[in-house]
Amino acid sequence: MTIDFNTDCYDPVYAELGVPATMTVAGVGAVTLTVLDKTRRKTVTSGNVEVNSIGPGVKVRMAELAANGITSSNWDGALLAFNGRNWIVRHGDPLGSPNGEDIGQVWFHVKKEAAVG
Amino acid sequence: MVDVREDILARLLEVVGTIPNIRSAYRNNTEIAENQLPAVIVFDGDEETNEAQNRPSNSPIMVQMTPEIIIAEQSDEVGSDLTTLRRELIKLVLFDTELNNLIAKSSPRGNGAIHYLGCQTDLGWMRSLHGALRAQFMFKYTLRPEQL
Repeated sequence: MTIDFNTDCYDPVYAELGVPATMTVAGVGAVTLTVLDKTRRKTVTSGNVEVNSIGPGVKVRMAELAANGITSSNWDGALLAFNGRNWIVRHGDPLGSPNGEDIGQVWFHVKKEAAVG
Repeated sequence: MVDVREDILARLLEVVGTIPNIRSAYRNNTEIAENQLPAVIVFDGDEETNEAQNRPSNSPIMVQMTPEIIIAEQSDEVGSDLTTLRRELIKLVLFDTELNNLIAKSSPRGNGAIHYLGCQTDLGWMRSLHGALRAQFMFKYTLRPEQL
């Protein structure tokens, strides 16, 4: 039996844990996606000092991005709104899957939108 | 009792706390939350002597203390922010009257000094770009064991 990771694994997880997000991409416009909020505690150590903050990020299914015209060539710098906050995509790391990267996931590393306090 | 080392470190904390736009200043605090940024932390410095061993053990000796000061900030313009904070830090420390008086009083023959030794930077991403600047200063003063 062949396992389709997108259908058999990712879709049920996103259906249960996913949250709606709006991604605004240059040349594409605003599209609605389902993302997994991967924002986590993060610490940076400089010398003896630990500075505690968060590392904001989301996971998105690559197939959903492709269906909306979003690819690695245009996601950098996109605006991403989810869970009540607005962010800017710094870069995306394709995470791949046993069925290939095109139906895997991508982890967007985001930063605080400058206009938001 | 006169402890020049402690007097310098205590004054250093007061001085760095006056850097414009600094939100919090600490001594030897190793854990900072992002809502305390920009923060400056003074770490008690190493102390070294270059004295020959053929003198009485309680003779005054020249001491070099090298405290480390860390400035941490988080912003899109963290590079220029750190540069500005570093500029103010150096000016405030080197020209502070009280720090210079502490050195001059401990070493009346004029062999005491305050020097800026240099700095290093660390960068990393969090909610926005995080940057830290570690600056070292050298305080040269006379340690008089009979005054401790």
